[in-house]
Amino acid sequence: MKTQIRSRKDRECYPFILPAFIYLLVVVGYPIVYNFVLSFKNTNVKNLASGSSVFIGFQNYKELFTDPTFLLILRNTFIFTIACLAFQFTIGFLFALFFYKKFTFAGPIRGMILVSYMIPMSVTGLLGQNIFLNTGLINDLLSRIGITGPEWLTQTSTALIGVIIMNNWVGIPFNMLLLISGLSNVPQEVYESSSIDGATKVQQFFQITLPLMKDAIFAVLMLGFIYTFRAFDLMYIMTAGGPLNSTDVLATYSYTLSFTQYQFSKGSAVAVVLFLCLLIVGLFYLRLIVKGEEDT
Amino acid sequence: MNKFQYLFHTRSGRKNFWCCVLSVVIAVIFLFPLYWMLQISFKSDMETFGKVLTYFPHQFTIDPWLANLKDKDFIASLKNSFINGFLTMFITLVFGIPAAYGMGRYKPKGFKAFLLVFLVSQMLPASLMLTPMYLTFSKIHLLGTYFAPTIAIAAGSIPFAVITLRPYFKSVPVSLDEAARIDGCGVAKSFFLVMVPAVKTGIVTIVVISFLNGWNDLMFSMTFNVKPEMRPLTANIHKFQSKYGTKWNCIMAYGAILVLPVVIMFIFLQKYIVGGLTAGAVKE
Repeated sequence: MKTQIRSRKDRECYPFILPAFIYLLVVVGYPIVYNFVLSFKNTNVKNLASGSSVFIGFQNYKELFTDPTFLLILRNTFIFTIACLAFQFTIGFLFALFFYKKFTFAGPIRGMILVSYMIPMSVTGLLGQNIFLNTGLINDLLSRIGITGPEWLTQTSTALIGVIIMNNWVGIPFNMLLLISGLSNVPQEVYESSSIDGATKVQQFFQITLPLMKDAIFAVLMLGFIYTFRAFDLMYIMTAGGPLNSTDVLATYSYTLSFTQYQFSKGSAVAVVLFLCLLIVGLFYLRLIVKGEEDT
Repeated sequence: MNKFQYLFHTRSGRKNFWCCVLSVVIAVIFLFPLYWMLQISFKSDMETFGKVLTYFPHQFTIDPWLANLKDKDFIASLKNSFINGFLTMFITLVFGIPAAYGMGRYKPKGFKAFLLVFLVSQMLPASLMLTPMYLTFSKIHLLGTYFAPTIAIAAGSIPFAVITLRPYFKSVPVSLDEAARIDGCGVAKSFFLVMVPAVKTGIVTIVVISFLNGWNDLMFSMTFNVKPEMRPLTANIHKFQSKYGTKWNCIMAYGAILVLPVVIMFIFLQKYIVGGLTAGAVKE
């Protein structure tokens, strides 16, 4: 009897949930399927209107993986992502430990530095363009300590470094924020009892903080990977992928193929590669979250 | 012991003092790029093109700002940015709040599937939707309308709204809507009159973040708004850059105006934004 009432009551919720659910199926689900289909065809601007595109199997993928430009771009994407993750996580963690301390300015300042995360990434790109000019802020600061800075964004060997630095300006505060919330979930009593046992701060960090924050750290790294791997706005504005594709990543390359060369199918194939890379990492992340959901 | 003595003559006071100093240094480093943008935007052309790089405007002028604000194209883009923000916000609220309520108060059949769809669509790269959506929108003649980009942007904001608001709805005491039901409220009435007002802090977060998602968007707006005069500020950056050339004072004024609403919202609504970002990103 009780379960019957319960299930009838539960049915009330469908009018609330279904509109958003259907919205996402149509606006997100359908394009994904369509994108996969496209990537196996030869749709371009010429045969789009006539609808005469045909299935060509894995041809697009074969062409991509034998194209040195694409392989360079794949490499760029991984270098960008891993470099960003390494710095933003390490520095973000140090900041989190620092701002988790209780001192007068801790609250206001940790909020303040988050502003770089809120502003449009395209403006971050614009700023990056300016401060990495040959006569810009970075080289001016370097010259004050006797270093002649490189022509950051106009040579292939340094352009990606400039983009990585700008991305860290955004990523560090964000990692800090998430790690602070992870730190606040570590029960304070554990520290108290261990300091009675004579553990040093460093020992406490490696033996208590890190293990207890395992899930939070994992989540931060997964999310960081997902957000960084799909980056687009920063490169598009700051360097437009150049010089010579040295800052092109999968997202910008997919855009170029689809919307400046109008090779829609090839652009879709690049998007699929991007998606599959994210999927591998995303599955771990989802398992973590759904597991957490079952615990509550 | 007065405050001054506390600051310098106790161990914890000194520690607090040095932590504050270090935190100010960090703040200066992180906010410096924004200061840099602002100070360039107030420089005269002559100083911008000068040989020596100056760290504050020696010839202060608001001309670069006026150059933007007197430009018809700029005003049109600014208007488009606001339209983008508000439309995204509207779509997100209409679809997101009810779904968050349904997911927070009930555990229906298929709950896990719903949750998975919301989580996954928040993580998907926009690149994956870009080409197919462009082709679909072009078929149904939606390209070049304000709806094309905002429908796509809201697809990222709705899951965010559901995931962020759900805990708020969960924490509203059951007795509250039971009381409303006894008083004769239907499901819809108790949702609008009791539940929504009870979670208004969370809703402020959604309002701010979804507006910013629309305001900050570049990729969808530039691709789906095929007419440049319908594009927001973010999507017209390159266009104005080729117009201004190396007049960085004008370019930086452009950037500063684009950032201004974000900074203003951030200053006044910081606690809603920060709380929401944490809750939406890692769930506890």
